[in-house]
Amino acid sequence: MGTVSAATRWRARLALVAVLTAWGSGRAGAQSTHANATGIVIVVGQQATTPVPTLMEGAANSIGNQDVADQLFLRLAELGPNLVTVGERDFVPALARSWTRRDSTTLVFELDPRARWHDGAPVTARDVVFTFKRAKNPDLAPRVSELLRQITSVTAEGDSRVVFRFARPYAEQFYDATYHVAPIPAHLLDSIPPDWVSRSSFAASPVGSGPYRWVRSVPGQFVELAAVPDFFLGKPKIERVILRTAVEPSARLNLLLSGQADAMDIIPPPSVNQVAADTTVRLIAVPSSTMGYLLFNQRDPKNRVRPHPILADSRVRRAIRLGLDRRQLVQAVFGSQGMVPYGPVSQLLWIRHRSPRAEAPNVSEARRLLAATGWGDSDADGTLDRDGRPLRLVLSVPNTSGIRRQMALLIQEQLRRIGIQIEIQQLEFPIYLERRAAGDFDVDFSSVSQDPSPSGLTQGWACTGGNNVAGYCDRGLDSLMEQAIGGRGDPGEKWIEALRRIEEDAAATFLYAPAFMYAVNRRFRGVTITPQSAWLSLRKWSVSPVPAAGRSR
Amino acid sequence: MSRWLLRRALQAVATLAVAIALLFLLMRAAPGDPLFRLSADRPISQKEAEVLRARYGLDQPVGKQLLAFAGGLARGDLGVSIEYGRPVTALLVERLPATILLGGSVLLLNFTVGLWLGVRQAVRRGRREDRWLTTLSLTGYAMPSFWLGLVLAWLVGVEWRLLPAAGMQDPLLSSDAGVLERAGDVLRHLVLPVLTLSVVSIAATMRYQRAAMLEVLHLPYIVTARAKGLPERVVTWRHAWRNALFPVITLFGLWLPILVTGSVFVEAVFAWPGLGSLAAGAVGSRDYPLLMGASLLVAALVVVGGFLTDVTYALLDPRVRLG
Repeated sequence: MGTVSAATRWRARLALVAVLTAWGSGRAGAQSTHANATGIVIVVGQQATTPVPTLMEGAANSIGNQDVADQLFLRLAELGPNLVTVGERDFVPALARSWTRRDSTTLVFELDPRARWHDGAPVTARDVVFTFKRAKNPDLAPRVSELLRQITSVTAEGDSRVVFRFARPYAEQFYDATYHVAPIPAHLLDSIPPDWVSRSSFAASPVGSGPYRWVRSVPGQFVELAAVPDFFLGKPKIERVILRTAVEPSARLNLLLSGQADAMDIIPPPSVNQVAADTTVRLIAVPSSTMGYLLFNQRDPKNRVRPHPILADSRVRRAIRLGLDRRQLVQAVFGSQGMVPYGPVSQLLWIRHRSPRAEAPNVSEARRLLAATGWGDSDADGTLDRDGRPLRLVLSVPNTSGIRRQMALLIQEQLRRIGIQIEIQQLEFPIYLERRAAGDFDVDFSSVSQDPSPSGLTQGWACTGGNNVAGYCDRGLDSLMEQAIGGRGDPGEKWIEALRRIEEDAAATFLYAPAFMYAVNRRFRGVTITPQSAWLSLRKWSVSPVPAAGRSR
Repeated sequence: MSRWLLRRALQAVATLAVAIALLFLLMRAAPGDPLFRLSADRPISQKEAEVLRARYGLDQPVGKQLLAFAGGLARGDLGVSIEYGRPVTALLVERLPATILLGGSVLLLNFTVGLWLGVRQAVRRGRREDRWLTTLSLTGYAMPSFWLGLVLAWLVGVEWRLLPAAGMQDPLLSSDAGVLERAGDVLRHLVLPVLTLSVVSIAATMRYQRAAMLEVLHLPYIVTARAKGLPERVVTWRHAWRNALFPVITLFGLWLPILVTGSVFVEAVFAWPGLGSLAAGAVGSRDYPLLMGASLLVAALVVVGGFLTDVTYALLDPRVRLG
């Protein structure tokens, strides 16, 4: 064997590197999603595991599952653009082409005879009856069955007429009948025992009635859907939809900015400018269901029988609210995409359009209120005190929320100016939740994701609400919310009155209700994003045959 | 030898059993409840909580839960994930190939390139190449892999677009693509995560191998080999390297479980669908069944790593099994 000189060996190595680089760069071009002219790649944070109505319980009640289920399964009717959940006027026909009211407790839906399951079978009234029977079984669907508790029966009259009967007259009957669960195919599921559906081939490859059908799922990577060519409400123009998963926000952002994805939901606020600099994508602000607030514990965390030694007094709670410049806080974290809510109301709830503006900060009034409750700075150390004890509160924050951690620091600083000492306690998420549920906090930095219906507010604010962890109780408020949900007349007015009561009592300080930013490649046309489910109107989008121009920054 | 092997294997099984029991109990003792996570931003009713608690066996006493887990384990059933609603074994099996591919590639690079560079450094001790490689390896060793991953993903994936910034395969690859095209696609996605993990691990292996070789190269039998007129390559690889392998074998045993645990951050940064990210998610959501499944795998890798190290030592050095 002849010897090879060192120079030759190095030349060979350099050539190898050059070949690899050329191969990499050549292939990277093919990676572009533009290779698929009629498809879309959406990068999301959660992968769908069981996107089947009636199976989305517990952890399966996730955005990942909901996003896919909304493409696969059509509801009887969809919420309209104003997201008004009372009455029937704001709803848009879907599986049902029309509806009538027989009396105050009976609704009748006429199914669209053109509706088909993805296997070609017609959608019938039997499917709807079957679905609601499953959905109302608390052992199978504890969450949904609770939401459907007012529906006493669902019966079929022939193949295309379904009759819903309700326990009593109330404003959201139509919403309850259409929003919480979309029909599933009885002819494919009635032979499978209910307990086995989640492990069946149906759950692994669902058959629905929506604009897109299931193609495949690659665990941890993506879900692929394909347009249903003979979809009765019009063939979707985007033929292939890929929901690509990346849990880490930075990975999602890289997929979008590298051209490996066409769209991304919920751009983290600090990254919005970076995305805006990419001229191939457009940013769209979408009202979100999220709302953040400081929840004041009414009970002593050490002994829940006793009132909280500081926060049981509504004047202290009100002083905290007045001491905070909430608009400044929102501006600092969300820029122009956030608003200060009046009451526990996200941008998703229709009642926000009728609510007053949030109270402006008033530091002198805050100081006056604190002085009136006996808090003064006797030792001139900058922190108020009473009976030798400083006005010190612990603010619980989950360490997983960058937004809340950032805002907590600003709150600490703003309240220091009026003599309130805030100790920020960052907790691992499960521990944070456990302590919150046990009422073990002074002030909890809460964040909720709301359904479009304001009736969910009872969970957090009614005396017996399942999520009322602060021990807040106002019988007058309970009565108002009960009237808003079930009473006659204008429910909007009752809800605003309820919000006013919560605000006046300063049960919490409501800080932010943001819009989230979504990014979509400019080659897509007719883009609308619905707040209640981001990709719901995807079937109406179209795609430009000409790829968008190259990026520039 | 066979009796020694049997005794060592039984020790490994006992260690694994104790580790599993401890993991199970510690997990239950840790604060945080999987069902509280479900109510993170959407309230769940008491009825819903009760049904879910019963569904996942969380309403049973801890002792009973442990027995049920042990019974399931004996049947190869690790339970159903609370987060995914699917059997844990299925989830682990789905994610295992990606982890083996990533971790295996890193190990392969580590114990080929790393060893080769370590030996090369030792042979050229004090020369310019040794000094450069020492500086490079120390730099690599000091570099946090998650930071390096972020930088590589951004520069190579987003700015230069030379390689995919994230993922394991291109979802748009045609369904009629051939095996070679598919393999090439996965390989391109593999480059950045492997590079990120390898920079740190190769640096460590280089340092170990260099030190071990330097010790051996001064021994009298190497001087004898050279005095016999053997070529330097034979002296280095056949005589010196074999004896300098022992510390590296220990290192291999330690690296084995890092296949799963060491890649958590890198999997997150590159959206690599492996076990590391699955396990990390399970910690955050207190998904006990999934957490136990992943922990069991790591514990098994630790025990197997130790066992393999001992067996390899015994094969290479008879004094070990005599002792």
